[in-house]
Amino acid sequence: MMNMALYKREMRGSAKLLMIFGAIITMYVSIIIYMYDPQMMKMLDSFSEAMPELMASVGMKTNAGDLLGFMVSYLYGFILLIFPMLFCILRGNALIAKYVEKGSMALLVAAPVKRRAIAFTQMKVLVSGIFLLIFYSTMVEFLCAESGFPGELDKTAFFVLNGGLLCLHLFIGGICFLSSCIFSDTKYSVALGAGIPAFLYVLQMLANVGGNAEKAKYFTFFTLFHPEGIIAGENSAILGILILFAGAVVLYTLGIIIFERKDLHI
Amino acid sequence: MSVIKIENLVRNYGDGKGVFDISFHVNRGEAFGFLGPNGAGKTTTIRHLMGFLKPQSGKCTIDGLDCWSEREKVQARLGYIPGEISFFDHMSGTEFLKFLAEYRKIGTQNRKEELLERFELNPKGKIKKMSKGMKQKLGIVAAFMHDPDILILDEPTSGLDPLMQSRFVHLVAEEKEHGKTILMSSHMFEEVERTCDRIGIIRKGRMIAVDSAQTLHERHTRSYTVTLESQGTAKAFAKDFGGICKGSQVTVTTKQSLEEIFMNYYGGEKNDEHGII
Repeated sequence: MMNMALYKREMRGSAKLLMIFGAIITMYVSIIIYMYDPQMMKMLDSFSEAMPELMASVGMKTNAGDLLGFMVSYLYGFILLIFPMLFCILRGNALIAKYVEKGSMALLVAAPVKRRAIAFTQMKVLVSGIFLLIFYSTMVEFLCAESGFPGELDKTAFFVLNGGLLCLHLFIGGICFLSSCIFSDTKYSVALGAGIPAFLYVLQMLANVGGNAEKAKYFTFFTLFHPEGIIAGENSAILGILILFAGAVVLYTLGIIIFERKDLHI
Repeated sequence: MSVIKIENLVRNYGDGKGVFDISFHVNRGEAFGFLGPNGAGKTTTIRHLMGFLKPQSGKCTIDGLDCWSEREKVQARLGYIPGEISFFDHMSGTEFLKFLAEYRKIGTQNRKEELLERFELNPKGKIKKMSKGMKQKLGIVAAFMHDPDILILDEPTSGLDPLMQSRFVHLVAEEKEHGKTILMSSHMFEEVERTCDRIGIIRKGRMIAVDSAQTLHERHTRSYTVTLESQGTAKAFAKDFGGICKGSQVTVTTKQSLEEIFMNYYGGEKNDEHGII
């Protein structure tokens, strides 16, 4: 099903991007985790108990007080969403649509390799990249947390949380991959592959503001990844992860089927 | 026995573009020249043979295998030179040929070295920095190195200098001797004339003639018999114009070049690629 020569070549093509995003993530994650101060958190917690309404209005909740809660509010809302998402967009587009537009796809399909195998290999390249990036960020977070604040991290919740993050990015990667398979023109494939995740991320930010805008959360898949819910052990949050994973499988399968059947003007 | 077979192929792009009800075949061990101006539908037809496009109606088969639904089986036996070759970024020629050999799983025992030598190509540099001719040579090596028994060549000599064009013609002739089946598209008469047994002419998406190169010539041969003043002048005349001398009468024949034949079919509308003016 997979073509090893193509996989190796494309993974080499991912290496540079992975290293850049890996470096950015290392920097942010280490700085933010070392900013955590248990004493201050305890103080904030005591404030919350003394005057819950006031603290809630500035977005501080009691359970955000431990290390994992701190990481969720500072890493899982922006940095760990945006950078892997950028990776999905850039690679997703480059793996299929760019080759079709440029015509170099002709070299790949003019060989006794099934189109399904080509698309499957390219999908695996994208999924491998996402997996490596999330695995790496998880390791960096874990090492920083354990070295700076030994024993403070709720390990089970932490790993489930990152499993959720992985599924979210697999889903985003699925959107990028599908649009790359549908369009033979990179301008459309980027418009959809980058446009949908970016727009829905903005909706998610709107929903976070609260009030009437909170309804926006029903229109964005980012809602399915609910870090606070995951670390609180809510069943609905776990269900969200499973839905993202199932959605990702559907998106990739659809992409492969479409690529297999489409006309290639190359 | 026909190896490549196109039956009533239709692909309508609208505005009179595309191919309409095209049928022809190429026999085993035969070189077929596919002749037509830019935009006549040569590449579209070839894309169907390669399994890139699904016929709107009609059928393409290679050795009985459907070019769309059984394309990977077909591809195992094909060598292909695209009309416009686009390589991968940031690769050297050497890396590209190595990648292709691994990708096609053809092993290291192939004709790469022999072909590189024949076309005097040094593949070490980055493909991006290669000239058009060098890229074309690289495309030729890539198409022939796995020693396929069917060759589909879309304007294979574009960008090559005359010396290399003639080396390519020799290569095609050799392959034909080895029993390979060749389909070669071109808008160059000489190239097709020198290499192909049969020629199909396509215009505005329709086949307007399919015949042997020989027949196409003969159909356009004219003879003239002239009577000269004396046998002496007749002999001299026959010698100068390659005629046959009979007493004071000399018969001379002229053959239209394939180019002229071609112009006959296209008569009046030379700027086909620009559509109606």
